[in-house]
Amino acid sequence: MASLTDPDALLDEHKPDAGRTGAAPAVQLRAITRVFGVAPALVRVDLRVEAGEVLLLRGPNGAGKSTLLGVIATAISPTYGSGTVFGLDLVAGRDEIRRRSELVGHRTRLYEDLSATENLRFVCALHGADERRVDPALERVGLAPVAGDRVRGYSQGMRQRVALARAFLRSPDLLLLDEPYAGLDDPAKDLVDEEIRATRARGGTVIVATHDPTRGSAATRSLYMDGGRLLPELRRAAR
Amino acid sequence: MSALGQALAIAKKDLRIEVRGRHVAGTILPFAGTLLIAFGLSLGPGRSLLRQTAPGLLWLAVLFASVLAFRQAYQAEGEDGAFESLILAPIDKASVFLGKAAAVVVELLALEAVVVGLVVVLFDLPVGHAPVVLAGAFVLGTIGLAVVGSLFGALAEMPRTREAIFPLLVLPLCTPVLVAGVKATELATTGPAGQAGSWLGLLLAFDVVVTGVGSPLFVYLVED
Repeated sequence: MASLTDPDALLDEHKPDAGRTGAAPAVQLRAITRVFGVAPALVRVDLRVEAGEVLLLRGPNGAGKSTLLGVIATAISPTYGSGTVFGLDLVAGRDEIRRRSELVGHRTRLYEDLSATENLRFVCALHGADERRVDPALERVGLAPVAGDRVRGYSQGMRQRVALARAFLRSPDLLLLDEPYAGLDDPAKDLVDEEIRATRARGGTVIVATHDPTRGSAATRSLYMDGGRLLPELRRAAR
Repeated sequence: MSALGQALAIAKKDLRIEVRGRHVAGTILPFAGTLLIAFGLSLGPGRSLLRQTAPGLLWLAVLFASVLAFRQAYQAEGEDGAFESLILAPIDKASVFLGKAAAVVVELLALEAVVVGLVVVLFDLPVGHAPVVLAGAFVLGTIGLAVVGSLFGALAEMPRTREAIFPLLVLPLCTPVLVAGVKATELATTGPAGQAGSWLGLLLAFDVVVTGVGSPLFVYLVED
């Protein structure tokens, strides 16, 4: 337990796997299967992602990438199999997993009749994050001039930027990005890459599912998914 | 933040969305008004019959309007997948249930104030006889309706759930509120108001039971 009077010790305790011996992986899945109706979206998926890795998931539509990210984020329960995130069980430890992870998905999860600022302040209220981080986060994604406007009037790209700003707010230990480049212009895509690198630099782990072949330069490893299965991986050094 | 603080944050957010979108004033209130006028026309011009049936018609209008209010409360969550954000937040999920119910209570009470005014004008219902009993009936009844709506509104938002299932679940479950609300309103307006205690007690018991059962059931529904 970190000393309450020592801020550095508290920060260290919050780092992935801090205080654990034997370095538990950031993500460990064993024979995870997820079936929707009669259609299997994931078939006996085994996956181990070490803390500090940036894993790139590629694959065609319907390959199971989003479902896999949903399972890791505890948004989707596996039908069979088991797994841990930071050594925490996917079911029993889901509250703590949710506290330490952020899923940026296809849908931006914003309230249309609230402004970007109000949306992010609400996120702060739910996550206990400091509201003073809202304005800098929106500035970082280039939305400061329209931060008070209702999201309903935003383009898809602007919404994606707000979703990205939500990730900036929380500095999660595990960042899960599902098609994060979709609908973004090049500067915004660069912001995504910056956030991936920043997360890794502070010891966090990132898993990115993307179709965009021009992106993923920050990845330390990539895997291919098809038919709900993970296929042999390609290792490469981070650039 | 405590579960109560989280519930308040959710209620505040829902009310802000309502103020911006004006769904109650723009859609639900005209619907309730139209319903009351249609009921009145179908019963004919007899003043005493209208006055006699007014408590029942009033509560039916409130019940149908409340179904729209519940759907609206969860539609805002479903528009861009925001509900997933609530589920993935590290908060007590019961606070989502209570926060959404609290927001709907405020919206419905505002709606009921106008609808009661309409019933006074259209059906000549005397509301000055026992205003405290009348207010008690509406507050307790509205809490019961909002809690049931908050519970099943989440179900209607879930993938693979048909929207039509919502009124099928909510309306039968709200029958005790409808019956006790009508009786208490009758007694508060045209009868001996002192006898309304048992009906108010029934409304209170319904609120307590549905909140007690609904809270863990909601958590189960959204998590599993």
